[in-house]
Amino acid sequence: MLNGFKNPGRIALIGAKSEIGLAIVSQLPEDKSREVILVGRNGEYALDVTDRAARERVVEAIFDKGDLDLAIIAVGLLGNDPTKSPADNLLAAMDVNYLSTVHLLELISDRMKKQAHGTILVISSFAQARPRDDNFGYGSTKAGLDFYARGLASTLNGTGVTLKILRPGFVKSKMTEGMKAAPFSITSQECGKYGARAIRSRGLVMWAPSILKYIAFIFKSLPPSVFRKISHR
Amino acid sequence: MSSRAKVATVEQIQDLLSTSKSGRGLLPIGLHRSYGDSALNSGGILVDLAAFHGINIDMQSRTAIVGAGVTIAALERAALVKSLFPPVVPGTGFVTMGGAIAADIHGKSHHRTGSFSQCVRVITLMLASGEVVKLTPKDPEFWATVGGLGLTGIVLEIEVELHALQSNSVDVVEHRVKNLSEMIELLSRSDNDYEHTVAWIDLSGDYRGRGVVSLGNYGTAPVKVKESESVGPSLPSLAGKNFINPLSVKAFNEIWYRKPLKNGAVALTKYMHPLDGISNWNRIYGDTGFLQYQFVIDIGREEIFDRLFRGLRDLRAASFLGVLKKFGNASQAPLSFPRSGWTLTLDYSMAVPGLEKFLRGFDEELVAAGGRVYLIKDSRVSPELIPLMYPQINQWRDIRRTMDPTGLWQSDQARRLHLC
Repeated sequence: MLNGFKNPGRIALIGAKSEIGLAIVSQLPEDKSREVILVGRNGEYALDVTDRAARERVVEAIFDKGDLDLAIIAVGLLGNDPTKSPADNLLAAMDVNYLSTVHLLELISDRMKKQAHGTILVISSFAQARPRDDNFGYGSTKAGLDFYARGLASTLNGTGVTLKILRPGFVKSKMTEGMKAAPFSITSQECGKYGARAIRSRGLVMWAPSILKYIAFIFKSLPPSVFRKISHR
Repeated sequence: MSSRAKVATVEQIQDLLSTSKSGRGLLPIGLHRSYGDSALNSGGILVDLAAFHGINIDMQSRTAIVGAGVTIAALERAALVKSLFPPVVPGTGFVTMGGAIAADIHGKSHHRTGSFSQCVRVITLMLASGEVVKLTPKDPEFWATVGGLGLTGIVLEIEVELHALQSNSVDVVEHRVKNLSEMIELLSRSDNDYEHTVAWIDLSGDYRGRGVVSLGNYGTAPVKVKESESVGPSLPSLAGKNFINPLSVKAFNEIWYRKPLKNGAVALTKYMHPLDGISNWNRIYGDTGFLQYQFVIDIGREEIFDRLFRGLRDLRAASFLGVLKKFGNASQAPLSFPRSGWTLTLDYSMAVPGLEKFLRGFDEELVAAGGRVYLIKDSRVSPELIPLMYPQINQWRDIRRTMDPTGLWQSDQARRLHLC
């Protein structure tokens, strides 16, 4: 249960290795009695996120042990594995970022509705703002996820459950190692701060950093010819 | 989020028990005014017992059979007409009989009368099976229900002893004290001579613990009371803004400290429930809300107050209403809060930065010194401290399990603190 300060007592991080996910957890107020369930490839709640039956099993197992106050869904794939073909990369990203994550949202929100409280934080991306030549495949998976999450958040109104969306820009982490940092890039620790703020904020969407909200607005307003020029840096 | 079932008869409750299949359980509630999460049951059903509002006073035995939904204020009004009064009443009249049992409430007379359960002869309780039982102080189930936070069954009605009055007044003497040690000294000295003792303590400014000690005995001279049913002024909605800050509290406390001292007869109900004069006073804390922190500590461990006051001063956390009181003996209920020692109650705006962390640290010192917090007011204590604060909890759990083997009674607090 949340305590009087609205701090969670039981948290699940889906994507135990996610630097952003771990950073978010580290930004929440410390409490010895807090239980953080790390859902990853190993451990008590081992999960291959692309396995439908495993998703169902793990979500059931988590909720059967007690109420969950906060679920952070931090699984994601850029789809830039050089050993794979572009098509395979695209399919893998679609599977993890959209199909599996949306299914997790569905399973978790359903259980949270039954306990009539809880918060879900899902990590979207700045990339979903507008297709760019270099990452529209990845962007499209996040755009689909983001779209679904916004719809789900609306239906959760009045159920006691809330859903928040974090839209990070370029985050310097293992996932983006070797890539050229984009403007307004942040570290995963900084991103964690935005994530922790998103959980407590009243709004649905939190950009990380906040200025990306305006950058996205500009991006979307630019005529295609201009946009192509500036996105081909 | 939970659904609320208003019930008016025993049969309706039994129907509810047999049909509810949510898995989130049921929780009886009264006025739903608990400070913490004791009266919340997310995803489950709240059983509203307001319709159980009968009061039957027997003049001969000076007892009353009272429905679970009757408030202390209503019982007082009914009893006063017959020159009787409940021997234990809390600082607010807005507590139901069911709530009074669930929290084993206490009042200004605790050093003499003990907690509420000490004047209760019978609890009529509905168990999870739907069976209705009459419990007396001879039954372990009686003591599991007292202070049991509504987790042992639904209190339907209780039989309670009443105190015979000579008048509707309290003879009050107030003393201004300069610091905590004067306050402690005066309260200790006054226990033998006064039925009601309590002190308002100023926890702002220099945090020395200055305040006003209020002592009272049941009076002999009647006083005129303004229409007792009337509710006082109501605080309007303040647009969710928090008006409690070190400056406003300091100003208020300065006025309160300097206000003329009472000396003489005061109406009983007014003396017992000073805060009930203003409805919705909680709005002054705005949307972020407030927490009430109440703990008890043994006599002789007063050094913990210095530590607390220093910490609060460093946080610039000013308390609007600090109350210090010396408790008498504990009841035998495993989860009852009051026990011999000092109890201090503080109100804080949730918006005070660092408050949560500070209180968490202070809880540990409190436990190390043998103290505990009052669960009915709690919304934030760590679950692992509960067995240290309430060492008889396992005994309570064992009895509770026999009364509710399927775990029907649930609350958010029970989930948060792993009580059951």
